[in-house]
Amino acid sequence: MQKIIPLFFIMLLTACAGQQRATNKLANQLYQQNPQHILKQLQETDPPERDYAQFHLNVGLLQLLASDFPASIETLTQAKKEMAVLAATSISENAAAGTINETLRSYSGYPTDRVMVHNILALSYLFNDDIDGARVEMLQADVAMKKLANRKSLNGQLASTHLLAGIIYEMLDEQSNALISYRHAANIITDRKLAVPVGLQQSLLRMSYMVDKNGQYLTYKKTYSGFPTPVKNSNSQIFALYFDGIVSNKKQNSIMVPSGNNEQLIRISMPAYPKIDYRLTRAKLSDANQQLTTELIENLDVLVREDLSKEYPSILLLTTTRAIAKYELVDQAGKKDSLFGILVNIVTALTEIADLRSWNMLPSTIQFAYLETTSNEIKVESANNAPQVISLTKNSKNLILISSLDTPVFHYQQ
Amino acid sequence: MKIKNNVLFIAIATLFLSACSTSVQRLDAQQEVDLSGAWNDTDSQLVAKEMVEDALSRAWISNFVKAEGKDPAVIVGKIRNLSHEHINTNTFIADMERELINSGEVQFVAAAGARDEIREERGDQDLNATEETRKEMGQEYGADFMMQGQINTIIDADGTTQVRFYQVNLELISIKDNRKVWVGQKKIKKLVKNSKLRE
Repeated sequence: MQKIIPLFFIMLLTACAGQQRATNKLANQLYQQNPQHILKQLQETDPPERDYAQFHLNVGLLQLLASDFPASIETLTQAKKEMAVLAATSISENAAAGTINETLRSYSGYPTDRVMVHNILALSYLFNDDIDGARVEMLQADVAMKKLANRKSLNGQLASTHLLAGIIYEMLDEQSNALISYRHAANIITDRKLAVPVGLQQSLLRMSYMVDKNGQYLTYKKTYSGFPTPVKNSNSQIFALYFDGIVSNKKQNSIMVPSGNNEQLIRISMPAYPKIDYRLTRAKLSDANQQLTTELIENLDVLVREDLSKEYPSILLLTTTRAIAKYELVDQAGKKDSLFGILVNIVTALTEIADLRSWNMLPSTIQFAYLETTSNEIKVESANNAPQVISLTKNSKNLILISSLDTPVFHYQQ
Repeated sequence: MKIKNNVLFIAIATLFLSACSTSVQRLDAQQEVDLSGAWNDTDSQLVAKEMVEDALSRAWISNFVKAEGKDPAVIVGKIRNLSHEHINTNTFIADMERELINSGEVQFVAAAGARDEIREERGDQDLNATEETRKEMGQEYGADFMMQGQINTIIDADGTTQVRFYQVNLELISIKDNRKVWVGQKKIKKLVKNSKLRE
């Protein structure tokens, strides 16, 4: 009996690692297969309860990309609740993580996940024709970002969230709120040493002209020159968001070393992100007279790496503590029975696996473009998709979501 | 000794499993239950009751009765949710309607959605009902006032503690001339402390 328990542990934890590998594989398959197909496969899996938040985040995102907006809202709301509950510390999970491995802790989401969930929910509400619901998500995202705010870092601060909030406020004719959100987006982009996209520059000029023509507008006009005065006209407005690529999966870095007395094998496993191997593509929007491309607003591949870097000291500390605890355990077992000691050593080494969980079906980058047109249709082109024509009602406000994956262009119009 | 251990194990396992099982308890709809600190049925009922009481105690109602010689007819329009929560404003509107109707001091007119359905039914009666039972078109009771409003929130959060401030603004507008005859406001403040520990 005593010798069966370690075997049981190995089987259980191998299954956990297998589940994670399967999720990572499905994320990579998104490049070749459409989201609906991947969603079906993901829903057929049976994740352990502690991975539910990660599972629901991925399922909810795929449901959005598969145009099932009510289901996406339901699933992501569930994920949001799970992450909120799991923000509290569990003593039993910490004990398990401190003695066996990190995967025994429930997945509570990284700062990027906790904010991005509101972005995806807001988009689902919009395409489900509920702009008030989308507005609620943006307010919640603002609270989430304020909670995560830190003077020394931009961790948990997403320019794309402020941009989306600005678009939603502008659609609701709340110019003052829109200006504040656009300004936050521009500040984050500048702090990240990126160029402020032309579309965002125009948004700042447009909103400041409406809110404070003789003050802030003049300041922005000096910073962003070369644009005509943004007077009200009867053109249709198109706010285009482009989801490009798939964010990287984590990988495991392990080393196995003999103990000082050569009596034990000690294994250390840490999560890491591989070097970014992503080629940015852009979406193109055009009408009869103009053509423009989307510009980078958020690099999620960078943000997820920042999230892990922030956690790294505590992961390293816990891994080291766990190695000492496991060493003691093997030592005690070996003193009782040398064969049992070897068996326990094998178990402690094999159960030392890194936590590779993440919201790994997010796009690699989020890009933005803004277009004003008198046409009643525009053409949208993106990587891996045939050009699509979007019909516009005259004098309408439109938000479109384009993806580099095999999806249609999602369109909200008012 | 082994039997004693097994009994102890079974007892602990039973306790553990019973703690995980689902339990359902019927509650009085009037009973106050606050689980998350979010806007709930108690807030909705409380705000509706207090604001309607306030609205009906003001001078506009007696002024109208004196001028027109009849009770005012009211309709509840859009209550916009500008809060941080997904609040179902329909339940709040239903609470308002109930309080207004039960006050007996105002006539109440069905909302736009319900009116369309009734008009459809009248159209159907026009074709299919007998002359004695048929209801004619053009006999609707026009509302004198529309109640509109919004639910706003301000959230101040720090770690696991949050202060949630709700402000409900309602106004009664004369449909004839757009005059605002009553403006009401109700504020609710909640302090929500979430546990730093969980199971």
